Amino acid sequence: MFKFKFFLDFDKEEKWLEDMARNGYHLNKASFGYHFLEGEPEETTIKIDYRRFKYKEDFLDYCSLFEDSGWKHISGTKNSGIQYFKKDTNTEEDDIFSDYHSKAARYKRYSSMSFQLAISYLPLLVVFYLTDIIDFNAFVNPKELYYTPGLWDKTGTSFWFSFLFETPFALMRGFAWSFIPLTMLLYLFFSIKSNRLYVQKSDKEFS
Amino acid sequence: MDLEKHLPLTETTYYILLSLLEPSHGYMMMQKIEEMSNKRVKIAAGTMYGAIENLLKQQLIKSVKSSDKRRKTYAITEKGLEVLRLDCARMKHMIQVTENLLSDSSAIGGDINV
Repeated sequence: MFKFKFFLDFDKEEKWLEDMARNGYHLNKASFGYHFLEGEPEETTIKIDYRRFKYKEDFLDYCSLFEDSGWKHISGTKNSGIQYFKKDTNTEEDDIFSDYHSKAARYKRYSSMSFQLAISYLPLLVVFYLTDIIDFNAFVNPKELYYTPGLWDKTGTSFWFSFLFETPFALMRGFAWSFIPLTMLLYLFFSIKSNRLYVQKSDKEFS
Repeated sequence: MDLEKHLPLTETTYYILLSLLEPSHGYMMMQKIEEMSNKRVKIAAGTMYGAIENLLKQQLIKSVKSSDKRRKTYAITEKGLEVLRLDCARMKHMIQVTENLLSDSSAIGGDINV
């Protein structure tokens, strides 16, 4: 079964995945949504870490450390960042972290990764601006985005048909670039939000 | 080289350095530490991984050749050893001062009780 859901709070995501397992849906793979396998309902513990790896050996070493200590790596790749672990039945410990500081640090890593992603789009934005792909004139005079000859002299049904037919293409022509600043804003939002979670969760120690 | 800036070591860091006097991989370190601390200090996998990463960055430990392809092996560096010695001396001094003062005050306390 496939479910689309998005979390910034790892604690909430863990709870939700445990609820799903309790209802007989076991996480098989998580990337742009969650793929579940149907099975027996199960009380289990699922924990999430956030890490990306430069080298394959580092990723293997990381997975081995968790599996040696009784945590099965159920989803995540070298570059996916989010790593999902499920507790083995005979594991004593209930968490993959033994102090608040290291538990909160995963939000810090998530935040700085999102920030880096946001910044990485900046050169592309500059290039698009310099090559006139980003044309602010389109805001002032959107008519220029329509290429159908004589479109603006047409009337009635003939006009509306041609106009509506070309509108999606005109939008693509004029505003396709806007996905870049939008993506940047989205990543910035993730970055700020998870940094706030980091501050909140590391404060827990003292409250 | 200013080693003082690493002091005081946290209990976790101290035990990790101690566990690497002989080269070990992550899970072996976790087991050794549990044993050395009489099961009082248990470091979970995620915390251990982060701690190893930090100590590598600070060059207190280093990665050494390993026969196991899936597990990296680490060992303490000269710098790490020096920091460990400094922190041990720091604690020795604290214990000595504490013991001296506590034995004095228990004598005083005894007087008051009488």
